[in-house]
Amino acid sequence: MILRLFSVCISFVLPALAQDGGQLFTLYCAACHGADGNGATGGAFPPLAGSPWVGGDPDRSVKVVLHGLHGPVDVLGKTYNLEMPPQGAMLPDDQVAAILTFVRSSWGNQAGSVTADTVKTIRAAHADRKEAWTAGELLKLHPLPLERTALTHLISSVYPGKWDRLPDFSTLKAESVEEEHDGILSVTDSPHKDSYAMLWQGDFQLPADGEYNFLLDADDAARLIIDGELIVEVSGSGPMDGSRSQQKKATLSKGSHKLRVEYLEISGFEGITLGWRGPGAKSWSWLSDQKAASGTIREPIPIEPANGRPVIYRNFIAGTTSRAIGVGFPGGLNLAYSADHLTPELIWTGAFMDGTAKWLERGTDNNPPAGENLVTLAKERFLPKEARFRGYKLDKDGNPTFSIQIGGQFLLDSWRAESGALIRKLTVTGSALEVPIARPAGVTIEEAAGKSVIQLSPGQPVTLTYRWK
Amino acid sequence: MRLLLSILFTATLTRAAAQSDFYLREEIPLPPGEVMEIGSIALMPEQKIAVTTRRGDLWICSGAYSEDLGKVTWKKFAQGLHEPFGMFWKAGWLYLTQRPEVTRLKDSTGGGLADTFETINSDWGINGDYHEYAFGSDPDKNGDIWVVLCLTGSAGAASDWRGWCVRVTPDGKMIPTCSGIRSPGGIGFNSSGDVFYTDNQGPWNGSSALKWLKPGSFQGNPTGNKFAKLANFPSPPDVADKSRILAERIKHPTFIPPAVVFPHGKVGQSPTGIVCDQSNGKFGPWKNQLYVGEQTHSQVQRVALEQVNGIYQGAVFPFLDGFEAGLIPVRLDQEAGLLFVGGSNRGWASRGSKPFTFERVKWKGRTPFEIQTMTANNDGFTITFTEPVDPSTAGNPAVYTMEAWTYILQSDYGSPEVDKVTPRITAANVSSDRKSVRLKVDGLVRGHVHHLTAKGVTAAAGQALWHSDAYYTLNEIPR
Repeated sequence: MILRLFSVCISFVLPALAQDGGQLFTLYCAACHGADGNGATGGAFPPLAGSPWVGGDPDRSVKVVLHGLHGPVDVLGKTYNLEMPPQGAMLPDDQVAAILTFVRSSWGNQAGSVTADTVKTIRAAHADRKEAWTAGELLKLHPLPLERTALTHLISSVYPGKWDRLPDFSTLKAESVEEEHDGILSVTDSPHKDSYAMLWQGDFQLPADGEYNFLLDADDAARLIIDGELIVEVSGSGPMDGSRSQQKKATLSKGSHKLRVEYLEISGFEGITLGWRGPGAKSWSWLSDQKAASGTIREPIPIEPANGRPVIYRNFIAGTTSRAIGVGFPGGLNLAYSADHLTPELIWTGAFMDGTAKWLERGTDNNPPAGENLVTLAKERFLPKEARFRGYKLDKDGNPTFSIQIGGQFLLDSWRAESGALIRKLTVTGSALEVPIARPAGVTIEEAAGKSVIQLSPGQPVTLTYRWK
Repeated sequence: MRLLLSILFTATLTRAAAQSDFYLREEIPLPPGEVMEIGSIALMPEQKIAVTTRRGDLWICSGAYSEDLGKVTWKKFAQGLHEPFGMFWKAGWLYLTQRPEVTRLKDSTGGGLADTFETINSDWGINGDYHEYAFGSDPDKNGDIWVVLCLTGSAGAASDWRGWCVRVTPDGKMIPTCSGIRSPGGIGFNSSGDVFYTDNQGPWNGSSALKWLKPGSFQGNPTGNKFAKLANFPSPPDVADKSRILAERIKHPTFIPPAVVFPHGKVGQSPTGIVCDQSNGKFGPWKNQLYVGEQTHSQVQRVALEQVNGIYQGAVFPFLDGFEAGLIPVRLDQEAGLLFVGGSNRGWASRGSKPFTFERVKWKGRTPFEIQTMTANNDGFTITFTEPVDPSTAGNPAVYTMEAWTYILQSDYGSPEVDKVTPRITAANVSSDRKSVRLKVDGLVRGHVHHLTAKGVTAAAGQALWHSDAYYTLNEIPR
């Protein structure tokens, strides 16, 4: 009797256990990660094939599947900033295990299978977790194995000393010389924290003839020399946050080249980032243990006036409100008008806006004005609650007039650029209106000298000229 | 010889039907070098079509109806818009639902560029979060535009009226209308003028669905409930976590259940734009049915709705497939019988591997053998087919299978399929005109999605079904 019951149970339980990982992957994962594991849309989404995130310790990938992943993540030399939605509430342990077992053994991946018990244990350990993981959190808990680089026979030399620029290494004697078998440039190879220089020399194996891009960043100074030619240099001192990074191109032949990297640490933080991108490669490969921050490898998308007409940009602009309307005038003069506060809020010179923050991926990055001499004209609303934004009109040259309705009257706020100044014309209909005028440092407003309020009367427009000092 | 012929004949008949047998899908050439991530499509006079892009451009296309798509031309009409999702043309104006406002624009001087941008209403909150999308409808019979407002980050309510549907009247008033929304992908009307939107799987939304925006209703996600007090409305239901939609809507009558659930993964993963077929058969025999875009799987699904006990419900059928990017807007020219779709896969991947697309679909005039409609009875379902069936297959209950399930209503992201049952099909009675079959089903479950497969059904002329799956959401069992 017991035996018969047992066999009945087996026949019911077995089909439920036999989850088909490949089929589940196709159903739930392939749209983003690609049926071939290379990431959908030619790699616009993170690949799983060959990804170190997938291999090794399965905890990393189980956690990503259960709770999702938030924020930027580097995979095989490319930074992605998408949101992996959490699947834990939808997929039971056996399905997560089947999918990950499939992923870890497909497209050349050769990692071991994942059991439902492993998933169950990890799920239970993080039962209270509500947020998605970040890449940083996961890497701290489950570091990735280091990837091999294109460098062989890499020798590092360390030279203690105080310099304010890269020294002439030919006159120096190294304190220590080591071979770096991992082929990775790392300041952790130095025993010093401050006041030292380093030199790396090795063979750089290039896969093809053609044009190569190099990205170098350092805290403080560094230069890359290939076959005796200076390729790219970061000079002076400062942080390694992308603000000083340099990109250069060089045409190189397939095969082995002599690589030489010189580096100087003055004081404080230290580090070096060196990336390269071969002909046709879409992503950076790194020769250093540190990699450039996500923002630095995007090509800028300048938004600029065309055909002598101003350009309008309506997306979020950092430093003003969500309903800001940006206007880039010819001649490098720019305005952000707040349709929430019903007033101009920012003016600046030079480049108008860069589209990369909002026009790529999900548009999660902050987008400050791209130029210089930023001046804040207002930060709050001065008109009563019933005042409403009614839109804008463009004149024949594309210059805007913003329209505000206050009960039965209208306030019209027109802007154009002329001879290095922004010209603002204020018009009111109905009855008289007081308009506060901010007079911040950085610009002069000739017509409003000494005034903080402009008295506007119907039929008597007021013109204000904003000129940078 | 006769044997050979009959084998050939059978082989022809049993060849699987393909989309290209019935529908011609064509890519409409886009202006070279431009990033055309299309978010809305409007039909204009003289067979011109306006499209907006996620980067905020508005382009007008000529030649999208012509036989030779090589003659398509484009003109940029406006730029600097804020990611519009919803646009229509009316009396010389293009009306847009932009992220921060409802706007209408036109070229007032004949210069060829839009120069007048009138803000009709901007009374909802936005705070700069990437996910606070706004999708707007065409005008309803009163001229109102219905706008569905995505939650902050798709899970929070950091700005006023997130998670609500509002109506914007022609004179610029905003009327909060429904609560309980999560992350919409599109909004449209059925043939009676009732308004529906699509909502995506996530917190408080076990699977994506087509939902009925009955004024005053709650749609299931309580995150935005707090905004009711801004207008002194009664608070929407405080639904219980880890519950079921049916249980909660019995407790809270304003909770209108999803009209048609699109089971996650099985029928797409991210439904988007909605359009009703009122072309009188110019796009196939789908009169008054809805076509729903699908972003992740790059598809168009077909939906047949009915109202039972005052609640909308019905079936979703797989329909068109293989689009080049993730679809967002869908637009049917009811006169020409042409379906226009556009899309983008920026930020959210799609099976279609291009970054953006603009396509049209034309019916070739050949009717596919398909399940046309599926309607609920007290004791089962009536399945209507597009062609007469072979009673020897369609009348055999054993050619059908049925499975039914529901989802957990929970604050966690999505839900597994739960409470699974296998209703038994006990009879299949073919109608006298052989166009429909009445299935007697033992074990219908109120509130469950009922998945019917009809793989073995053949037409009187011998062919197999193009699609054999239907997913019916049985909110109500007819009395």
